[in-house]
Amino acid sequence: MIRAVSTPEQRCGTEAARIERAAAPSIDVPCGLGRWIAGLLVLATGLLAGCDESRNTMGRLDLVWGRRGISDGRFIKPRAAAIDARQRIYVVDRTARIQMFDLDGRFLRGWRTPDSALGRPEGLSVGRDGRILVADGHYQQVLIYSPEGELLERFGGQRGYEPGQFSLITDAVEDSQGNLYVADYGEYDRIQKFDPHGRFLLQWGGHGSQPGQFRRPHNLALDRHGNIWVADACNHRIQAFDSRGRLITVWGTRGTGPGQLYYPYDLTFAPDGTLFVVEYGNHRIQRFTPDGHSLGCWGRHGREEGELCNPWAVVCDNEGRIYVVDTDNDRIQRVKL
Amino acid sequence: MFDYSVSFQSPWYLLLGLAVPVLWWLSFRSLAALGTWRRLAVVAVRTVVMLLLIAALAEIQVVRTSDRLTVIYLLDQSLSIPESHRRAMIEYVNEAVARHRRLEDRVGVIVFGRDPAIEVPPYDEDLEMLPEIESLLDPGFTDISAALRLAQASFPEDSARRIVIVSDGNENLGDAVGEADRLAQAGVGIDVVVVRYPQRGEVIVERVTASGDVRRGEPFDLKIVVTNTRRKTASDSGEVTGRLEVTQWVRGRAVVVSRGRVTLPPGKRVFTVRQKVEATGFYTYTAEFFPDRPEDDTMPQNNRASTFAHIRGRGRVLVIEDYEHPGQFERFKMALRRQNLELDQRTSDQPFEDLASLQEYDAVVLANVPREHFSDGQIRALVRNTQQMGAGLVMLGGPNSFGAGGWAGTELEEAMPVHFQIQSAKVVPRGALAMIMHATEMPNGNFWQKVIAKEALKVLGARDYCGVLHYTGVGATGTSWLWEPGMRVVGGARDEMLNRIGRMTPGDMPDFDPGLVMAYQALSALPQAAVKHIIVISDGDPSPPSRRVIASLVQAKITVSAVAVACHGPADSRTMARLANATGGKYYRVNTGRALPRIFQKEARRVAQPLIYRNRVRPRRKHVHEITAGIEGAFPPITGYVMTTIKENPLVEVPLVSPQPPNEKNATLLAAWPYGLGKTVAFTTDAGARWTNAWTGWENYDKLFGQMVRWCMRPLEEGGTFAVATDVVDDRVRVVVTALDKEDEFLNFLDMSAMVVGPGPELKTMELKLEQTAPGRYVGTFPAREPGSHLVTISPGAGQPLIRTGVDIPYSDEFRHRGTNDALLSQLAERAPRDAPPGTLADTPAGLADVEPLLEIDHFRHDLPKATSSQDIWYYVVLVSSCLFFFDVLLRRVQISFGWIMPLVGRVRARLFGTRPPAPEPETIERLRSRKAAVETEIDRQRAGARFEPGPEAEMEQPEDILPQAPLAPTGKEPTLASEEPEESYTERLLRVKKQTRRQTRRQEPP
Repeated sequence: MIRAVSTPEQRCGTEAARIERAAAPSIDVPCGLGRWIAGLLVLATGLLAGCDESRNTMGRLDLVWGRRGISDGRFIKPRAAAIDARQRIYVVDRTARIQMFDLDGRFLRGWRTPDSALGRPEGLSVGRDGRILVADGHYQQVLIYSPEGELLERFGGQRGYEPGQFSLITDAVEDSQGNLYVADYGEYDRIQKFDPHGRFLLQWGGHGSQPGQFRRPHNLALDRHGNIWVADACNHRIQAFDSRGRLITVWGTRGTGPGQLYYPYDLTFAPDGTLFVVEYGNHRIQRFTPDGHSLGCWGRHGREEGELCNPWAVVCDNEGRIYVVDTDNDRIQRVKL
Repeated sequence: MFDYSVSFQSPWYLLLGLAVPVLWWLSFRSLAALGTWRRLAVVAVRTVVMLLLIAALAEIQVVRTSDRLTVIYLLDQSLSIPESHRRAMIEYVNEAVARHRRLEDRVGVIVFGRDPAIEVPPYDEDLEMLPEIESLLDPGFTDISAALRLAQASFPEDSARRIVIVSDGNENLGDAVGEADRLAQAGVGIDVVVVRYPQRGEVIVERVTASGDVRRGEPFDLKIVVTNTRRKTASDSGEVTGRLEVTQWVRGRAVVVSRGRVTLPPGKRVFTVRQKVEATGFYTYTAEFFPDRPEDDTMPQNNRASTFAHIRGRGRVLVIEDYEHPGQFERFKMALRRQNLELDQRTSDQPFEDLASLQEYDAVVLANVPREHFSDGQIRALVRNTQQMGAGLVMLGGPNSFGAGGWAGTELEEAMPVHFQIQSAKVVPRGALAMIMHATEMPNGNFWQKVIAKEALKVLGARDYCGVLHYTGVGATGTSWLWEPGMRVVGGARDEMLNRIGRMTPGDMPDFDPGLVMAYQALSALPQAAVKHIIVISDGDPSPPSRRVIASLVQAKITVSAVAVACHGPADSRTMARLANATGGKYYRVNTGRALPRIFQKEARRVAQPLIYRNRVRPRRKHVHEITAGIEGAFPPITGYVMTTIKENPLVEVPLVSPQPPNEKNATLLAAWPYGLGKTVAFTTDAGARWTNAWTGWENYDKLFGQMVRWCMRPLEEGGTFAVATDVVDDRVRVVVTALDKEDEFLNFLDMSAMVVGPGPELKTMELKLEQTAPGRYVGTFPAREPGSHLVTISPGAGQPLIRTGVDIPYSDEFRHRGTNDALLSQLAERAPRDAPPGTLADTPAGLADVEPLLEIDHFRHDLPKATSSQDIWYYVVLVSSCLFFFDVLLRRVQISFGWIMPLVGRVRARLFGTRPPAPEPETIERLRSRKAAVETEIDRQRAGARFEPGPEAEMEQPEDILPQAPLAPTGKEPTLASEEPEESYTERLLRVKKQTRRQTRRQEPP
């Protein structure tokens, strides 16, 4: 049987290399004069809205891959990503597919979560032994896969507000000791800690705006000391806790300026210990020192390459390049610093 | 992938290019002073400008030709195709695409039954369709033409287009061949893959008919036609055994009138059941076959058929009450019974099934029931029952009735003698409704959000405020109003608002707070709004609202109702329930989008409640009317009613009004008018439940309501003179009316007219033409392809009561057993687009059971005309020519010196090779030098003009007409040095020669 001219892997590589311009939607304007007017309006709107605050002050666009689609290498609203020790990037999208790529965007493997009718996964991380942890929030469970896509374990699955029960899980991370931290939100936004055998150890948080409380803890990240950093999305701030749940630091205020945050949805650590925070509401990546000092921004709202639309996640490879999950543009953008 | 060329829309303008040489000629003459190079440059620029303007006049276009091909597969998912074959289609398409698609070709999939739906939009990638179709379809019909239309609309413009139809060709709606013709003319290729399946055993109840005229107390025959499609073989007799049941339905009660075991040999059989009815009513007879072995009958849908029989008697009335508040109208019902009216009562959760089930009633009373308890189809049935079938309709008031019940903007409002909205600003307080929309993950979530918002908007009054908030991800909060200002008065802007809602694409809102805060601020800025309400629709996963925001809403008396779409389970909806409870709103949890519009209608009614007038008033008579005839004295006082606006129509009669408010237009208590063939009555206060407590003991209570219902009831038929028979022949229903007078003589030359109301929620009406074909016999036919009850109202002529009858089409043609429609499929494939061969017909005996032979055909072959798209560029050309014209002027007016080049070159050379440039001289010396050079040039020029130095050039240049023919006369003086004589200029010399010539001429002239 004759197959397609090229394999999916080859096609994805080609697409990634040439940076798909066709993927970016554009505004249809009827005539030349209209284009001039639309251009002026966009320019004026941009200036009035303070877009100059989001001007790139770090990094440059290095690679873009993916476009809207259901076949391998394409996405429909990708939501979370993670990079494993072998420098392979995993992406989960709104079709409940988990796809594995190499760092240049070549598709390697893909699979789906078993159930997705109630909702699709929102979180993804890599455990200490390379297992993939998928926060399947709407089923109140963490799905644990092998890198080959074999479902090894379902953790949780009970809806509720008691210890060991969950409402909407946003993320799960595993520390070097094998302890599991699970963030969920709903009425009682909290983080629960479980030992390597899955036994409940402790929980902290609660719905609110006081330090130590959360409003939609959207993502967790572990630093080299084993502290848990939380993207407290609807409080527009970052909080850090030690492994016993004690608050270490909290910083961030709502806003669009440098150093301010607007719906931080994800955070990740660079090899040098600085943090990258992706802001869903500001459509940008911001780099911070651990004490909350802004080191620069990248990205602004838009559909072109180098622009972002409601990004959900960011990951960083061991070369310090960052990969932004550009959710509403259905693609991944790599930025070189 | 693309080739570009240029074309002209108005090529005749290119003839203007012949004028270019004229331009050259004119320009060369007028630009002589510019010197050779400048003149050439100017002429060249002018030529280009002129050519560009000619191209612009000829409407120059860029034409892009694409090698791309887009193939859209149309998969027939109707029930005439076995499920295994419907699944096999998906596998076939996946395989065909993987095998044949070129890299840049696009492929899409449309699935269809009654309506088409895009399963996969055209993508340039291989398909990975899942085994289950995700689109929601009605598989009870096949409409290939609708699918073809959708495919044509879905094609991108920049590619050649081909449609591949995978079907058995059994269309029962639309005209696929006609549509295919249009597509072929538009250059779309059509391939066909034939779905073939083995013959199946099938028993079909073709029809039930009541033969002859059905009269009270007289026997009549029900004929049941049953077909067994099995074939007799050597090993199989083909007989099917089972049970045949005939059920009589009247007033919602079912009685089995015949039940028996039957053996059906292959072919058709007719069974007869004799019946006699003693009581009046609208009877439905249903025949159903139950096979002993289910495998003998593939499709149970075609085992049932019905017919109607109508026995006229006393008038019957249907009273529909609110199921949530039963028992409010007991006194009213008692009054009707006392007035000798036959009464049926139902609650609004199960009011009636369809128009046919209303036919046994001569009037329907809606007793304070809200709009959301009725589907659009039921409302339409109520209206058609009056308009087309001549029944009466009474609407009684209450807090859930008229505009307060959300009935504004419905078809029922059109049927009533009053408008349900209030125009007067002084009368009614205003409401304000803000809706917050959050994108859900439920299937068709965005679609349902739009439906909901539109339904809610329709319920609002013209003076109410409405706003819609949705997450866009831009701006200070990421949440935006759908229109500006956010809360806007509905009146006049309703259509624009509906359009905006149609284009809305709500995003994934992270938390509720920004939206609620914006709604709070906007509603707080509306002191004139008496009722302020927010509706939130969400799947519950945004972060919960803060206590501060909830407290602010409570303080501002803004209620919030929350609708949780249960795709994420109860964990998420607890947040929303808390929000609703805290603010005094309502919480709803729904599983499907279909429930949402009703919820929003109900919620929007909170804002519409100001329509109720709550004060004690005494009704005042206005017009004399049959409803109030014979009622003497004053009416007892009432304590409330629903305000409306009386319709400006001379047919509207208003027997009762309220003295308050003073504007009588809005103070109607009782109004009536004829509507279509029937009559409707609006009674805006209630019937003793709440606002008319003082009426229940009133001696005229029974009389008033009895007369009210009787006035609008369908007139009784005198019966006996007209016999009506109906029959179904192929796709048409034949209606035969036999008209006799009281002496049983034929009535001829009657001016009969008839109206048919079709089935389904649309209840389409059509006129039926009845023509006399024999003495006293009138025949008409109408098409009836859709299953369901087709009701016919016949008006035999002036002064004659209406005759009603009906025909039931039991099921769609989809369930009539037929094989593959080869003729239709062949016709579709034969359609050849312009400049391209006709399509291919992939047909193998095994059909989709063995796809390998079918896969030999390449649907991605590039034999269709290439797609071209053109774009006007004349305005760019005009812009360029304008810019070039500037250079024309520049070259003529400005002499550009290139003298700076050589010094620059010298300096560069000096810098590169070390040679010393000449030292710059002082500016004064430079000026002196140039002045000196100028003076020397002038002197040389004068000298050249003064001297006649011998030489070949001088001799050649001597003009013969100026110099004399004869040698110059000697002056008599010796030549002297030129320097000693005063210099003579060229002009002086000319004058001198001229004078000399004149003198000679005078001398030669004769005296």
